[in-house]
Amino acid sequence: MGVGFVVGVLGVLILSHAAYSTIQYRAMLKITEEEFSGPPINVVVELIAGLMLCMWAALTVPGKFLSILSHSDENRVVALPENLDFMIFNHRGKAIPMGIDAKLK
Amino acid sequence: MAGRVDSDKVKEKASDNLNDLPTFHAENMQNNAKVMYYSRTFMSIIGGVVAGILGLTGLMGFVFYFLIMGITSVGLAAKAGFSIHSYFDSWNKILLDGFFGGLMSFVLFWTFAYDIVHIF
Repeated sequence: MGVGFVVGVLGVLILSHAAYSTIQYRAMLKITEEEFSGPPINVVVELIAGLMLCMWAALTVPGKFLSILSHSDENRVVALPENLDFMIFNHRGKAIPMGIDAKLK
Repeated sequence: MAGRVDSDKVKEKASDNLNDLPTFHAENMQNNAKVMYYSRTFMSIIGGVVAGILGLTGLMGFVFYFLIMGITSVGLAAKAGFSIHSYFDSWNKILLDGFFGGLMSFVLFWTFAYDIVHIF
């Protein structure tokens, strides 16, 4: 979670820097009176780097895939109650006649 | 105590068997769909920003969206270790789910970034 999130923030920062560079490039084109045909190469490189970092973040941050097969090892039910040590079977309740027995007779 | 916990588990399993195919774990399936949906939405937003900065217009932007979604699908498949059937019930799920929802966010952020960078 932590590393992926930081990588995503870094990617977004790189993308915003690329946007800022493009704005400056367009301002320069306006001064030299040329047509915009495409962003400069360093912006393209920045965009690809930002896209890769964000991709990494998008694939790691949301969490792991869990197996949907009910017979796989991850989905085995092995949990025991936490108070196992405190279970008492030999207590005074034995002396009281149980309702179940009465019904059975 | 133990009996109650066990009966909860048993009930859960029983409802799984009734509602779904008996071999699939419904809760984990939902979790996987949610994870994939987050990935796709984030990637379509980022793809929209990149398309806007690149200055793509018209059909090229949609082609770029298809490209991004294709790469995302491959990434998701790689994340699942290419054993799709132990995490999803079919290939369509990983290739198509959340495609049109992502398209809306893509168009929104595409126009947003294009306006900021190229028009204002």
